[in-house]
Amino acid sequence: MPQYGMVIDLKRCYGCYACSMACKTTNHTPPGVFWARVLMSEVGTYPNVVRQSLPVLCMHCEEPSCLEVCPTGATQKRDDGIVIVDKDKCMGCKYCIMACPYGARYSVDKWESYFPDGLPLSPLEEFQKKAWEEKSGVGVATKCDFCLDRVSEGKLPVCVEACPAKARIFGPIDDPNSEVSILIKKERGQVLNPEFGNKPKVYYLFPR
Amino acid sequence: MDPKVNGQLQHDWGWLIAVYLFLGGVAGGAYTIAAVNSFLGAGLELSTTVGLWIAFPAILIGTLFLIADLGSPSHAVLSGMKPGSSWIARGTWIISIFMILSFLHLVLHQFTSVGDAAGGKTTIDVIAVAGIVFAIGTMAYTGILLSASKGIPFWRSGVVPVVFVVSATVTGHFAIMLGMTLFGTVASTLEPLRTMALEAAGLVVLEVLVIMFFLQAAFRQPDSRESAMRILRKYMFIIGYFILGLAAPLILMIIVYRSAAGAETGIAAVVAIGAVLGLAGGLILRQAVLICGALPTLNIAGFEFRRIHRPKEPKADIGLLPPK
Repeated sequence: MPQYGMVIDLKRCYGCYACSMACKTTNHTPPGVFWARVLMSEVGTYPNVVRQSLPVLCMHCEEPSCLEVCPTGATQKRDDGIVIVDKDKCMGCKYCIMACPYGARYSVDKWESYFPDGLPLSPLEEFQKKAWEEKSGVGVATKCDFCLDRVSEGKLPVCVEACPAKARIFGPIDDPNSEVSILIKKERGQVLNPEFGNKPKVYYLFPR
Repeated sequence: MDPKVNGQLQHDWGWLIAVYLFLGGVAGGAYTIAAVNSFLGAGLELSTTVGLWIAFPAILIGTLFLIADLGSPSHAVLSGMKPGSSWIARGTWIISIFMILSFLHLVLHQFTSVGDAAGGKTTIDVIAVAGIVFAIGTMAYTGILLSASKGIPFWRSGVVPVVFVVSATVTGHFAIMLGMTLFGTVASTLEPLRTMALEAAGLVVLEVLVIMFFLQAAFRQPDSRESAMRILRKYMFIIGYFILGLAAPLILMIIVYRSAAGAETGIAAVVAIGAVLGLAGGLILRQAVLICGALPTLNIAGFEFRRIHRPKEPKADIGLLPPK
């Protein structure tokens, strides 16, 4: 069974948020929930300032702390390394949210409209809410699942497909001949905060 | 705008969890003191009775607060499925056993004459010893639950369980003292109250030392420093916890201990005020620790990704011309 992972080339990412938008429209996540986030950072002093974007998602760690702390067994790690949440077992204690040092998990108590002043849900929001309840639902912990439905059909995760800069590469990380493995080796891919000890399977390529 | 930018505060555990942690601590502390006093005997019967009447309802109500916070409470029956790795699963078992033992002890102590027979006394003593073990487990669990949370550096300290155990003992103490002033006669409770006031004052001093050690340890870690700074900027923490929740009860307990004979009527009121303030301080401590828990900063190759601090005077500071 392949172990899936992802490489994100920060030299290519220019912070357009296409991955965030594609994820939201495909997975119908509620307002305030971002399975694919983009963080921004500014480093340096004028005139030598660099603005760097950092796409972040569930790291599908080899040693996920969310899996360890889940009291009900709702968080599971599949044979292909993808970490998932079984909504029928999750009791919504939110302990996994506190345990994930990458802030990849969310839980919402209710679906609120994107529009202000208590306006009723629009037809599109009603559709999204229904789709979300089938997939996950309110009250339970949610997170990126590497677009499991798409991957099982042989497609790429939607954030990978949507990235206009081709900054995201997805594939079997345990296959030394796969594109992701070659890139990690050739360009010395790094993981975020290795000191957390979770052994993430999302690697970043950084300008040197 | 993503509300969950790194460096920002967690918002998933709020006051319901704070009340749960507080009541769990009060229950554990009150039961431990009540059970220990049941062994010490003479003159401490009222404190045992009051402690047992506090422990069971407190842990029961506290658990209801936890259930109220669950997103999907219908799955709560699964909460003890993974005691091998999850502290919530372990806590489910610890609290469940403690709840049963505290209930049994209360019923046997208050509603039966089992304790009058020699064999019955032994049964109650065995329950009390087991109850003390699980009461201490409950007090420690409320802190370990937080210290095992890898995503919040402020909580991820071995000192947190110590803080919570000491605070739980203090609040349990105050809860019993408050109960004694409400349900005992002044004449019968005066001496036990003066002894307990001295114990409470000592415990409060210990809590001050432990909380100061916890905060200075948090300041020394870059990822938890922001939380430590935030908590010290909160009026709720400084005034509500440090001044009204620790300093005021400490002074009042010393007054009670040093009170002269003949001032019985005023002592009950002073004890009650000190106890209420001490209890409120325990709740404020837990709420403040929860709401000041900040996510760690993500970093890669020297870049830190957190909230972007923008200059307050944009035009003057980031103009196109270099500064003179």
